[in-house]
Amino acid sequence: MTVHATIKAASESPPFRSPGNLNAIGLIARKEAGEIIVSPRGRGWLLAMVGALSGFSLLLVGSTELSLLDNAQVVYDMAGIVIALGALLALVVGSDAFAGEHERGSLTPLLLAPVSRRGILAGKIGGQMVAWAVMFLLSLPYLWAVGSTGQNLAGSILGLALFGTPVVLTFGLFAMGLGARLGNVRTTMMTMLVVLLLAASPLLIGPSLRQSTLGRWFDAVNPFSHAVNALDAMIIDSLGVAAQSIHLAAIVAWLIFALAYAVRQTNRLVR
Amino acid sequence: MRKNEKASIAMAAGLLLAATSAPPASADAGPISIGISPATTNAASPQMGDRLAFNTVIRNTGDKPIDGLIAWVSLVQIDQGKEQPIDLEDWSAHKAISRASLKPGETISTQWPMRLIQAGHYRVVISAVSREGSSLTPSPFADFVVRSKPVVESSRVLPVALGLPLLIGMSFIGWRRRGRDTG
Repeated sequence: MTVHATIKAASESPPFRSPGNLNAIGLIARKEAGEIIVSPRGRGWLLAMVGALSGFSLLLVGSTELSLLDNAQVVYDMAGIVIALGALLALVVGSDAFAGEHERGSLTPLLLAPVSRRGILAGKIGGQMVAWAVMFLLSLPYLWAVGSTGQNLAGSILGLALFGTPVVLTFGLFAMGLGARLGNVRTTMMTMLVVLLLAASPLLIGPSLRQSTLGRWFDAVNPFSHAVNALDAMIIDSLGVAAQSIHLAAIVAWLIFALAYAVRQTNRLVR
Repeated sequence: MRKNEKASIAMAAGLLLAATSAPPASADAGPISIGISPATTNAASPQMGDRLAFNTVIRNTGDKPIDGLIAWVSLVQIDQGKEQPIDLEDWSAHKAISRASLKPGETISTQWPMRLIQAGHYRVVISAVSREGSSLTPSPFADFVVRSKPVVESSRVLPVALGLPLLIGMSFIGWRRRGRDTG
């Protein structure tokens, strides 16, 4: 993406909260979100996402063994898949954020634009937030559809917003930071996909199989584990959101760490 | 076919033969009597995922001790066209009991719990053999029906699962056409 603006030296970049900087952040966020949502490529991705959620829903309808599960279990599974898809979206977009600009040769004009490095990063994050918001909204009909009994449906939506959003952003920020450091979309995306595959393993490996010492350690440090465990507690066990403060604290800690990493790597970008 | 399925079929076939060819109270069955009754906690109309239990009382009706007694639970599906023995692996963890010796007049009370996995009409029977006995002793049949339990309502899922991709796909095609027309 190229921001057409007056070229200034980086040292002349306006302060983060200045009106000009905020306008530029909004411009970057709008362009980023537009590329993800409005462009043909973006719509293709949205189509693939709703296709995946539809496929999962139809599999649930066709399953004859499903009746052993509670309805809440199905809602929990759907919420977990939405977070995984959101994290996938964030890491793909994040991998392209700086590494893609570098490969397309548009990074230098972007860095010369009258906006601070943090402003550029904030704009990119804003684009991701909008994309996640659209994805979140699209997932609501699916949660409603599979949550036929209404058991903890509101809890699942609240949990998805509260725990899914920071997890998705964390993956996006790490991808942005890594992309800024490596300057290569393919390497960044491959690395982040492997990380996501590992982090999202609690969706495939149930809690009983993660009771080993290693499994407990993994759950303790993995933000994805904290998110699905919080969803499990809220949706299946009907526990309140206040009881999930430890999970939220761990996820927010990862978000802050990812933000610091992305800021650091963005500041180290050279034109 | 898996080994345990073969064993299960063979066991059930033998069981059905024994149950239909020999009346439970006949002398051939030996000095063992088995009474079976559904637990009072059983749901009147159970559905998939529910738990049922059956209580049995195995009594030595003879005047000699019975040594090496083994009793086990068997389950068969009796829906027309779906008649089959059921592998109890998913249904019950409590599949058999054994007793070294049962004195004359002595009884063994046992509860056989099971979780209902599939919808259908079922028949449960408890069988017993002893080390010295020459035939198998079956309990009377206990029949039950399992209702299916729709966890996910297709009337809610289908419109969303088919409608949303269609909506986005149509907007995608419309956007491309508009772009082609204006471009």
